[in-house]
Amino acid sequence: MRILVAMSGGVDSSVVAGLLKSQGHDVIGVTMKLWEGPNGEMPETGCCTAADSEDARKVAAKLDIPYYVLDYTASFSENVIDNFVDMYSQGLTPNPCVECNRSVKFDHFIDQAKKLNCEKVATGHYAKIVRSNNSLELHKADYLEKDQSYVLHMLTADKLPKIDFPLGTISKPEVRQIAASLGLKTAFKKDSQDICFVGKKDYRNFVSSRIDFSSSGDIVDKDDNIIGTHEGVHEFTVGQRKGIPGGQGQPKYVTKIDVENNKVFIGSKADLTTKNFIIEDVSFVNGEEYENLSIQTRYNSHDIPCKLKKIDSSTYEIELDQATLGVAPGQFGVIYNDTKLIGGGRISSKILENVNE
Amino acid sequence: MKRNDYLYLDHAATTPMRESALEAFKNAEEFAYANSAGGHELSRRAKNLLEESRDFIASYFGAAPSEITFTSGGTEADNWVIKAPFINSKNSQNLVTSKIEHEAVLASAEWLETQGQEVNYASCNKDGQVDINEFLDKCNKDTAIASLMYANNETGVVQQIEKIAKEVKIKNSDILFHSDVVQAVSSEKLDFHKLGIDSAAVSGHKIGGPKGIGIMFLSSKYKLPNYFHGGKQELEKRAGTVNVSGVAGLAAALKEHQDNFDNEKKRILQEREIFENELKNALEIKIVGEKINRLCHISNIQFKSVNSETLMVALDLKGLGVSRGSACASGAQKPSHVLVAMNVPDIDVNSHLRFSFGWNTKEGDGKYASEIVINTVKEIL
Repeated sequence: MRILVAMSGGVDSSVVAGLLKSQGHDVIGVTMKLWEGPNGEMPETGCCTAADSEDARKVAAKLDIPYYVLDYTASFSENVIDNFVDMYSQGLTPNPCVECNRSVKFDHFIDQAKKLNCEKVATGHYAKIVRSNNSLELHKADYLEKDQSYVLHMLTADKLPKIDFPLGTISKPEVRQIAASLGLKTAFKKDSQDICFVGKKDYRNFVSSRIDFSSSGDIVDKDDNIIGTHEGVHEFTVGQRKGIPGGQGQPKYVTKIDVENNKVFIGSKADLTTKNFIIEDVSFVNGEEYENLSIQTRYNSHDIPCKLKKIDSSTYEIELDQATLGVAPGQFGVIYNDTKLIGGGRISSKILENVNE
Repeated sequence: MKRNDYLYLDHAATTPMRESALEAFKNAEEFAYANSAGGHELSRRAKNLLEESRDFIASYFGAAPSEITFTSGGTEADNWVIKAPFINSKNSQNLVTSKIEHEAVLASAEWLETQGQEVNYASCNKDGQVDINEFLDKCNKDTAIASLMYANNETGVVQQIEKIAKEVKIKNSDILFHSDVVQAVSSEKLDFHKLGIDSAAVSGHKIGGPKGIGIMFLSSKYKLPNYFHGGKQELEKRAGTVNVSGVAGLAAALKEHQDNFDNEKKRILQEREIFENELKNALEIKIVGEKINRLCHISNIQFKSVNSETLMVALDLKGLGVSRGSACASGAQKPSHVLVAMNVPDIDVNSHLRFSFGWNTKEGDGKYASEIVINTVKEIL
C-alpha cells in the first residue's frame, strides 16, 4: 500500500518510515515546512529546523524512498500562530501542538495523501488505533510514558481508517534500537521539547513581538486588593508562580487573568484548585460516552476520574471526583475510558469562575 | 532513486552534459590537467587549450577574446558586475534593474541596498514584459549600471534588449548596460556587440556544458574592479586557478550546440507545441506569454484550481521532473517573485509549473509528458 509518512527529522518518524518500508509498503516521506523566517528560510532553533529536514532527507535517502519538503506555512501561520498569540492576549494558555494537529497536520495532510494516491498517512505519534467490533478506536500507546494520544484527541472515527500510528505498540528504547539496526542517523538524536516556532526563546517575547501588550495593569488578590502592577497580561498564565510579587509566608500563584479589566488575580495554592469546569468545541472519536471516565487536563498529566454532563452539542461540563490544581483555560481536557480516548475540548475561561468554588 | 524511464523537463534549471562536452572535459583532465598559469610543458598545454576555447567562445558571441573572463558560473558573473562598481564608491551612483531578474541579480541588488546604495526596480506587465518607459525613466545621470535579463528563466518571456540597450545609451552614454543572458543562450543566437550589451553573464551548465563554469563578458570599453582577490590568473582579472577542463567542456558544448542549433530548436518547438496543445484541449490552463515572444524551451503553465506543489510531487512520483519557483535549501519551493511581479492573483500564484525542454528532448516527449500531466491533474482535481 502507498503510505505518506510525515517525517520531522526525529527518530520516531524515521523509524515509522523504516518499519513501513520493511513491511513492503510504498513509502513516501514528507517534511511539513510549518514555519519560516522572513526570507522563507527554515528556522534554526526549535523543531522543524533546516537541520531537521536535512536529517529527514538523509533518512529517506538511506531507506531509498522519495522525499519532499512541502510548504504548510500559510495554514500554520493562520491556524496556529495567530491563534497562539490571540489566546495569550485573552489570558488563555494555548496548546499550539493540539491546534496544529487539529487544523494543519491531519486535515491538510490526509487530503494531500489522497491526491498523491496514498491510501494512508502515518506519523511517529505514540498512540494506537484499535479495531473493536466494526469500528476503529483511538487508544493510548502501550508505552504510557510517551503516550501522545492527548494531542490527537480531535481525530474522529471517520479519519482513523486513513491513519497509521506504527509506534503505538513499541517503546521508545525499542524505537531507538530499530533506528540503530536500520542504520538511521537519527537513532540517538535528542527529542525536541520546544514549541517549534518559539524554540528556546521565551514565548513572552514571541507574543509581544506580534501584538502590542504594553498596557500595564494591576495585580490583585481575590478580593480585588491591589498587590502590584504588571506590564501586560500576556506575561502570565494561570498557575504561574514566577514573577509574582508578595508571597511572604506562603507562595502565590496566578489564579485568573481578566483581560477585559487588564487585571491579573493571584492567590494561594488552594485558590487554584478546580473541581468543575466547562470544555468547549468538544469532539468525540466514536461518539459520547458517560461511564468510567477520566480526564487529562494537560499533556502528559495523570488521569483524574470525572463525570461528563452535556450542556449543548459542543459544550460539556466536567465534574472531577477530586479537586485538582492547574486546570488552565485554553488547554484541552481529554477524556478517556481506561486507555480508550473518548473525546476532548478546550477548557473554557468564561464559565470556570462560576463553577469554581 | 533509480528510474529508467524518467522524463526530465527541467532543462531551465540545468541540462545534462552533451557528449562532446563530457569528452572534452575528460580529455582536459587527462591531458591538460596542469595549472594553466604554470611555466612548463603541461601548463602550456592547459594554457593553449584554455585560449583556443576562449577564442571560439568569444567568436560565438561576437566578442573579442579579451572581453571574455571565465567565472564559476552565471551567478558569479552577475555578482561581479552588479556589486563591484559600487564597492567603496563614494559618489551617489545608482543601479537600475527589474523586479523579475534572476536571484543572482536581485539578491545582489538587495545587498547593495543594505550597503546604502540606491537601486530602482522597473515593473513588468501581466505578460512578464518589463515596462520599457519605466525602465528608461529610472535611468538618470547618476546611474552606473542598468541591468536587464535577456529572457526570464521562469516564464521564458524575452525582453526587448536591443531596443532598451540603445535607449539607455541615449539617456546616458556612461551607463554600463548588463544583461543576464543565462537562460537565453540555449535557444537564441546572441551577438553581444550587435545587441548593444556592455556586459553579460553566461552559464555553462544551461547549454549542455559542465557545472561550475561561466562567462563574464565585458566590453573592452569598460573596466571593472576585481571581485576575487588572489593570484593573477585570467588576464589578472579573476583570481583562482582557472577551471580549464570546465572551459574546454563549455567550448565543446557550445560547438555542438552551434552545429545542431536549427534542428534542436525545431524539435524543441515542435514538442512544446504538441505538449501545450494537448493540455489546452484537455484541461483548463493558461500559458504564460503564449501570444508574445518567449524562449522556445520554456512553458510556464497555470493549472486552474490545482496546487502546483502537490502536482509537482505527483508528477515526480510518475516519473516526470519539472519545477515550480526557485528552490530553497530545504527543498520547499516558494511562490515565484516573477509571478508576483506580473500581478498574478494570490489564488493562482501557487498553480503554476514550469516545463522546460532541452537538447536531449526526443520526438514524442511532448505527447508523453502531456499524457502524464493530464491524467495527474484529473486525479488531483
